[in-house]
Amino acid sequence: MKPTVTALLVAPAVVLMFGVFLLPFLFLVVLSFWYQTPGSLSLDTNFTLANYARILGDSYFLGGLWTTLWLSAVVTVICLVLSLPLARWIVRRAGRSKGLLIGLSILPLVCGALLPTLGLVNLLSPLGFINGLLKSMGIIKTSLPLLGNVLGVAIGLVQAFLPLMILPLITAIEGIPVDYEKAAMSLGAPRLQVWRRVLLPLMLPGIVAGSLLVFCASLTAFVTPQVLGQGKVVTFASLAYQQAALVLDWPFASALAMVMLAFLLLAGALGAFVTRSLARSA
Amino acid sequence: MKRIACYSAALAVCLLPCLPAVAQDYSGHTLVVGTWGGDIERLLREHVAGPLEARTGAKVEFLLGGSGDRMAKMVAERNRPTMDVTFQNIYEAPAALQEGLVVAPDAALVPNAANVWPGMNDGCYAMSLNGLGIAYSKAVFPETPEWADLWKPELKGMMAYAPYPSSEGDGMLGVAARVAGADEHNPDAAFAKLAELGSPKLSYSSLDEVLSLMDAGEIAAAPMISGYVLSNLQNYAGIGFVFPKNPGPVLVRDMVCQVANGPEPELAQMFIDLALSVETQTAYANELNFGPTNSQVTLSSEQSERVIDTPDEVASLLQLDWPYVIAQRSAWTDRWNKEIMGQ
Repeated sequence: MKPTVTALLVAPAVVLMFGVFLLPFLFLVVLSFWYQTPGSLSLDTNFTLANYARILGDSYFLGGLWTTLWLSAVVTVICLVLSLPLARWIVRRAGRSKGLLIGLSILPLVCGALLPTLGLVNLLSPLGFINGLLKSMGIIKTSLPLLGNVLGVAIGLVQAFLPLMILPLITAIEGIPVDYEKAAMSLGAPRLQVWRRVLLPLMLPGIVAGSLLVFCASLTAFVTPQVLGQGKVVTFASLAYQQAALVLDWPFASALAMVMLAFLLLAGALGAFVTRSLARSA
Repeated sequence: MKRIACYSAALAVCLLPCLPAVAQDYSGHTLVVGTWGGDIERLLREHVAGPLEARTGAKVEFLLGGSGDRMAKMVAERNRPTMDVTFQNIYEAPAALQEGLVVAPDAALVPNAANVWPGMNDGCYAMSLNGLGIAYSKAVFPETPEWADLWKPELKGMMAYAPYPSSEGDGMLGVAARVAGADEHNPDAAFAKLAELGSPKLSYSSLDEVLSLMDAGEIAAAPMISGYVLSNLQNYAGIGFVFPKNPGPVLVRDMVCQVANGPEPELAQMFIDLALSVETQTAYANELNFGPTNSQVTLSSEQSERVIDTPDEVASLLQLDWPYVIAQRSAWTDRWNKEIMGQ
C-alpha cells in the first residue's frame, strides 16, 4: 500500500485521538499548574507548583496515595493467586466448555463497573446476603463490616479486574506445550514443583502483563472504591472526583490526576523493564 | 352580521394581551435543561416540559446529574453554553450569578417570579423550600429527637452523612456550631463538636441504602433534606423525621436558573415561568413534599403541615451565611475528610 493511502487511512484515528484524548489531556497538564482563586470559580492562570506542594506537603493526601498504592498491589497479588490455577484449569481441563468459561470470566469487563458493584453492595451490606446468611445460621449476632472499609473495596476490585489477569495468563499457558508438564511429572516432580520450576518461569511474560493491567486499573479505579468504600476509604481517584465535581477545584484535581499518572508511567516502565529482562534471559 | 363582526373584533383586541406570549412557533428548537433525575425529572416532564412542548412546538431535553456537574459545565462552557436552564442549590445560585454564569432574576421576563415570596430569588429563581431535619430510627429514638440528642455517647459512630461538600454537610456543621454555642463563623468549634459524633457509619450515595439501614436500626440518624425523606417515609415504618427546634431546621432551597448566553433564552424564560406556576409548585408540594415558593399556592392543611410554605416558617429556619460557607469550601472539605471521615 502506498504511504499516502496509509496516511489517509490512519488520519481519522489520529485526528480523533488528538481531538478527544491528547488535546484535553494536555489541557489537564497545564491546568494542574494553575490555581483556583479561593472562594471563586475563576482560575489564576499564573504558573504555580502550589497544587503539587499541597499534595506532597499534606499527610492526608500522601496517606490517600499510600492507601491507593498498597491496595492496588494487594489486589494484584490476590488476582494473580486466584487466576493462576483457574487459567490453567480453563486451558488444560475445561475441554469444550473452554470458550464458555473464558466468556464468563470476562463478563465483569463487559458489564461495566457500576452494575456488578451495586450487586456487591447487596451481598456485602449489613442487611445483605452474606450477613443475613451468617445471622440465620447463628454464626454471628451483629453484622460484619464488609462495606466502608478496605476489605470491601478489595473484594470489589478483585471481582472487577480478575479478567485482566486471567486473559494474559490463559494466553501464556496456551503457549506452553502440555508435554513439558508431563515430562516433569514423569521424572517424579511433585505438582507444586511443576508449577514452581516449569509453569511459572514460562508464564512470566503473562504474569507481568496481567499484573501491570490489574495494578494500573486498580490504581485509577473510581466507581468501586467510591461505592464500596462509602467515603471511608480514601483513594486518589475518589479524592480527584471530590475536588473536581464537588469542590470545583479543577487545578488541584488535575494535579491529583497527574500524580496518579506518574505512578502509572512508573508501573509501565517497571513492567517494560521486567519484560525486556525476561526476553534477554530467554 | 356586521355588529357580530364588530363585537368579535373588539373582543379579539381586548383578549390580545391575555394570550400567552408563545404564539411564536419554536418547532425545530431544543431547550436543554439540567436537573436532578428521579421524581424531580418526572414532575418537570409532566408539568413543565410537556405543556411547553405542546404550546411552542419546541423539544425539551433533560441533562440529568448533580448540581456540581452542572456548575462545572457552566464554567467550562462559559463562552458558548449548550445548556439553557439549570437547577442549582441555595449556595450555588448566588455564586453562579456572581460569576456571570446565569441571568439575574427578572419578573419582567418571568412573570411568575413576582409571585415568589419576597427575598427568595437570590441569584436565581427560588424553586422549592426544604428544611434540613433529622431522619431517625424509631428503634433507637422512641421519642422524637432534638439535635442535642444525637450527641448521646451510646450513639457515637451511628450517624450517616451525605458526601461532603453538600447542603447536608454544611447544614450539620452549622448545627454543630450552634450546639457548641457558636455559629458557622467559628469552624473550629463546629468541627470539634461534629467530630464528637464519631466517624459516620455510612457516607451514603443512595437514599434507599441509608433508609434501609436506618429502618433496621443499624444507623441511628442522619441530617436529611425534608422533601426527600418525607416522600419515602411510607416505605419505611421504622423511620421518623422531625424538624428540630433548637436550633431550627436549616433552610435549603432549590433554585432554577437561566444560563447566561444560553442558545434559547425565550424558551428558557417560558420554562422557568411554568416551573414557578401555581400548578407546578402545587404538584411539587403534594407529590414531593417540597415547599412551594409561589405565594399564590394554597395547600390542604394536612399537606401544609408537612412542608415549609410560608415566610413565617422560613423565618423560623436556621439560615447559614452561605457566601462565607462557600468561601471556606476547599478548606472545610479537607477538614471534613480528616476530622469527620478519617477518625
